[in-house]
Amino acid sequence: MNPQLIRDLVALLGSTAVLSQPEDLMLYEYDGSVELGSPKCIVFPSSAREVSEIVRLANRYEVPLLGRGAGTGLSGGAIARDGGIVVVFSRMNRILEIDAANLRAVVQPGVVNLDLSRAVDHLGLYFAPDPSSQKACTIGGNVSENSGGPHTLAYGVTTNHVTGLELVLPDGEIVRTGGKNLETSGYDLNGLFVGSEGTLALVTEITVRLTRKAEAVKTLLAVYDTIDDTTESVFDITVRAITPAACEMLDGFTLRAVEDYVHAGFPKDCAAVLLIEVEGLTEAVEAQAAAIMEVCQLHRAREVRVARDDRERALLWKGRKEAFGALGRISPMYYVQDGVIPRTRLPETLRRIAEIAQKYDLQIGNIFHAGDGNLHPLILFDERDRAQFARVVQAGGEIMRHCVEVGGALTGEHGIGMEKNELMSLIFSPDDLALMARVRAAFNPAGRLNPGKVLPLGKGCGEIRIPHIPAPATTSA
Amino acid sequence: MSHSAQISLARLEEIVGAAHVLTAPEALALRQVDGILPSAVVQPADAAQIAEVLRFADAEKLAVIPCGGCTKLGIGSPPSRYDIALDLLRMNRVLAYDPQDLTLGVEPGMRIADLLRVLAEQKQFLPLVVSFLERATIGGIVAANSSSPLRQAYGGVRDFCLGMEFVTGEGMPAKSGGRVVKNVTGYDLHKLLIGSLGTLGVITRVNFRTFPLLPAQRTFVAGFSNAEAAFRFCGAITQSPLSPQMVEIANPGAADVIFSGDARARVEPRSWSVIVSAAGHPEVVDRYARELGGMAVAAGAEELAPLGDSEAPDILARIREFTRLILDAVPSAAIFRIGVLPTAMAGLLGELHALAAQGSVDMVALTRASGILYAALLPKEGDAPATASLTKAVQEVFRVCGKSEINASPMLERCPPEVKLAAGGVWGAPRPDFALMRRVKNSFDPNGVLSPGRFAGGL
Repeated sequence: MNPQLIRDLVALLGSTAVLSQPEDLMLYEYDGSVELGSPKCIVFPSSAREVSEIVRLANRYEVPLLGRGAGTGLSGGAIARDGGIVVVFSRMNRILEIDAANLRAVVQPGVVNLDLSRAVDHLGLYFAPDPSSQKACTIGGNVSENSGGPHTLAYGVTTNHVTGLELVLPDGEIVRTGGKNLETSGYDLNGLFVGSEGTLALVTEITVRLTRKAEAVKTLLAVYDTIDDTTESVFDITVRAITPAACEMLDGFTLRAVEDYVHAGFPKDCAAVLLIEVEGLTEAVEAQAAAIMEVCQLHRAREVRVARDDRERALLWKGRKEAFGALGRISPMYYVQDGVIPRTRLPETLRRIAEIAQKYDLQIGNIFHAGDGNLHPLILFDERDRAQFARVVQAGGEIMRHCVEVGGALTGEHGIGMEKNELMSLIFSPDDLALMARVRAAFNPAGRLNPGKVLPLGKGCGEIRIPHIPAPATTSA
Repeated sequence: MSHSAQISLARLEEIVGAAHVLTAPEALALRQVDGILPSAVVQPADAAQIAEVLRFADAEKLAVIPCGGCTKLGIGSPPSRYDIALDLLRMNRVLAYDPQDLTLGVEPGMRIADLLRVLAEQKQFLPLVVSFLERATIGGIVAANSSSPLRQAYGGVRDFCLGMEFVTGEGMPAKSGGRVVKNVTGYDLHKLLIGSLGTLGVITRVNFRTFPLLPAQRTFVAGFSNAEAAFRFCGAITQSPLSPQMVEIANPGAADVIFSGDARARVEPRSWSVIVSAAGHPEVVDRYARELGGMAVAAGAEELAPLGDSEAPDILARIREFTRLILDAVPSAAIFRIGVLPTAMAGLLGELHALAAQGSVDMVALTRASGILYAALLPKEGDAPATASLTKAVQEVFRVCGKSEINASPMLERCPPEVKLAAGGVWGAPRPDFALMRRVKNSFDPNGVLSPGRFAGGL
């Protein structure tokens, strides 16, 4: 990179806010996905004005740039695919305002998701989107990826909880969309920017909705001897229009790995469990829990256990949220997918995944948001085994094509990034993609902001991109 | 009709069939927008025909305004040009309904009342109980981002719309989102179409998630002597674990509309009413009855009265049909839709009442506690011509909304065309991100074929 650009950045931000030594850059080569990319420079701005100046410098020197929060993303959104500058928001981590009466908070993008919920806990409020990485991931990253989490089944994903943004556009202009009000007349630009994976603008401030904590919570663990009984239960819960706050499934293979690590209390000899949470008024929770128990028993659940207290409840959730990390203990590497299917197609889809695992002689674990049909098949592999790696790519492609065939989607919450952009044509027509490209060009005309993400480059042909030397497995989703 | 318009007629007939190009005066009059008539009404059967019509219009530099039930053509600025009314009523089918998955795909010309009947057979619904329920179509409701009292519990269109298919101004069919309940694949372009008033694309399919009808429902009313007390009650609900289906605050004039159905009646001229609906299991509804009563009395109400089974449907229907009832009674009314925070509602209503007290208009206001306030300015009876006084009042409302302590987002949804012009527009002060809106418009409709001039800033 041009040394004069580094000098200009240091002059702008100070020497402690600019990294350009190779050993420092290495730390920013990866995120929570299996992707890699080498940035040339890392900067830590403290204000929107500084972000704007950084963008103007990048334009002057014609280098690409992208934003990054905690680097927990799962599709390579925060990876410098074409090198350039990575703008890390860790210094912009203040909660600027809490407006409890109007259920709003104004935060900087580097605020950690869980820190916001903790800051409003004493008011009986929280921030509803709860990705499994919520102890580390930032709200700026949540906005870019439109992150979900287990409880989005009842409460919606990030876009449902954002009312205003401050943005720095790829030309350096600082602009506000929306605000605290529920609606402003005009186009819903928040709806466009949330989930645009950092390709349209850098987010420098976010106004979010806060949610009142439920009066009562009940967490149920239903234990099954067959996968079919488990998926049929989810199907039946959906059909009966019971809406739990969360409905997560862990298959036997996965939960055995989790149990050895977390000791959450999952029975190790079962085929699968459902972790179901109901929330709301005490009276409603009782009625819902009873209805769910009835469904689970109808589908031959061996046991339906209700968490006795907060400690047991927290332990069950720890088992769920740290599951990916647990799998890292038993396999050198895994590849996690994020396809979505109509919920009624769950039983056949899990059977299909099992067939695919058998066909390619692979171990595939399933731990996912069953209630909204958001799969997370985890394909385990050892990157030193080249032949096995080729089978992983093929199996992943087959699972994804199945999701599309049954009317589903490529990603429910992890984003397209640089992992699935060549698959976009499975869902979208050339015209659909042309319009998306046109919208991107309207905001990011030089393509300098987060290049190589979301839209296909036309290099692969409907293939998932899994790089040849993957990074180590990390905890997430 | 000009020579070029005659040529276009032949071509349009080729695309949709001669029977589906209407030029009879009454057909044109029905689709007038702010007094401006189209040259033809074109009734396409599918997205492919829409694409052909739009490509033709693009080439011929004709302006197209989509329509269905024609209940919302008065919303927005007067169009700068208008040649073709694109009537979508033939596209009125449910394309996919999977009640077990609680998802739905529907064409834009289907009337919401018909759709709700289809869903009710499966004990489901969409939380879009909107004004003009029997005539309004899905496409219009989405394009105008119509607000429903159920927004309190279920959010707005953007919260349960899963994806869309549409045709851009250049006649290019496109889609975004999908049919599943959770999806972050690609840009959420369909969110831009919600509330875009037909300026970005012609919607050809909308996918929704549906919701189960709840086993029991009850509606309660509490009366208060002033706005502050009414909003104290609403604030207490927000602070409680209760999450009602609907919380509506009616000023004395709105209470008359809702309880008597007469926009000019003055039944209880001093009473502010808060109407709350609860739904769920019977035990849950009982709990609302117990706790809402205490909260209402603590806020200053004499009592909280449950509505009887005989009166509740009528009262809920009048809340839903508030806009239509006002317009039926007072066609020259100016109705604002204002995005406002709960803590600023009482202050804004105070300003609006002060404005009305100056004597030129009556003010009827229905407020959704979630953050949308409908304020209708009614010219005084026998006060003719009312245009000057109404225009002045409209401008005052925009000014009041801009006060820093109120900071509301007003849009003048309904008003006579001459007031729209005299008042300097219906969209309020330009948004700080207006330049971005223009970029969006240029991406979808670069040549200004779709509803030109109707949107904010002349888009």
